[in-house]
Amino acid sequence: MGPRNSAIQMTILLAIVYLLMTANFEPINLAFSLIIGLGISSLVRPQHLSIQWRRLPIALAAIAGYLIYMLVDMWKSSLQVGRILLDPRLPIKPGIINIHSGSESEMAIALSAHAISLTPGELVVEMDDQGEMYAHCLDISQAEELIAEAQKVRRSFLNQIFE
Amino acid sequence: MYSVSQIIGLLCLVLGTVFSMLGILGLLRLPDVYARLHATGKVSGLGAVFLLAAAIFLTPLSAGKGLVLIGLLLLTTPAVSHAIASAAYRIGIPIKAGQRDELRKRLPKIKPHE
Amino acid sequence: MTALIHYSVWGALIIHIGMVLICVWRVWRGENIIDRLIGLDVTTTLTLAILVLIAILEENSLFIDVSLGLATLSAIASVALAKYVADQRMF
Repeated sequence: MGPRNSAIQMTILLAIVYLLMTANFEPINLAFSLIIGLGISSLVRPQHLSIQWRRLPIALAAIAGYLIYMLVDMWKSSLQVGRILLDPRLPIKPGIINIHSGSESEMAIALSAHAISLTPGELVVEMDDQGEMYAHCLDISQAEELIAEAQKVRRSFLNQIFE
Repeated sequence: MYSVSQIIGLLCLVLGTVFSMLGILGLLRLPDVYARLHATGKVSGLGAVFLLAAAIFLTPLSAGKGLVLIGLLLLTTPAVSHAIASAAYRIGIPIKAGQRDELRKRLPKIKPHE
Repeated sequence: MTALIHYSVWGALIIHIGMVLICVWRVWRGENIIDRLIGLDVTTTLTLAILVLIAILEENSLFIDVSLGLATLSAIASVALAKYVADQRMF
């Protein structure tokens, strides 16, 4: 576990992205992708990412569940905004409310702000490093219970990933 | 006759076009900047994602690139919306018909101007 | 590619070009600077969609490479412009 280890992780990740983009799995392209990944990860200082191999299957399952939950949420969010837009009376009650993310690590706060920006009618305007987020809502009358419920589900997923 | 992937691709094409049109309708109808960001950021972004899915299903040669581009769009669209909304609040653009503003207590120096 | 798919891709292309015109009008006659910034962001998203539709029509994945570059540049440019508007300086 050191800077060299995280450089290797980043190189492999970049090489996988390059191979997906070129869709060419000949040996010379494989070697070229590793060279490009090594070059980029020597230019950028890699973030330290600690992986506990024993918990990896649980974390991967939690990541997959989180992705599916996020896609379903994005679909519902777009349908709700579309229904508001097609209504001739335009029933919106905008306002900014305070949400506590309930996490400590920076990555978890950033991910939950990202997920809040995708859920029905909410958009994070401001956040600080204590985990307080201020979100603009299209309809604040029923937003608070919905936000609390969705935040509980997301926090359980994030705790499983970052435990 | 049509194959299954062609039918799914056609469905994704129609859905993507409908979501893009909803985003533009929101840009024209909604009253202020923050509400417009809801429509353009999420709904138009989902429209582009559906068009990319249609490209993956209709043409056989671009699956990897399409998946990378979908991931990139899903990562960057909320970040761009947040950056624009934060800039709008910092330069003091008011919320039209806003009913509650809990951020005002935290940033009291910024005065909204009409 | 069958005729139905061909004509529906053409229809989607025409609709998207019309929406780009609306957004450019919005950038030209916006209420304030943030409004113009939103118009610019939507214009790049719609240009990306047009490039993807051309890639379907031509059956050439080169256009998806171009739209990948456009998506990266437009995201960075929008964040940089928003930071410039908020702080009145770039860095």
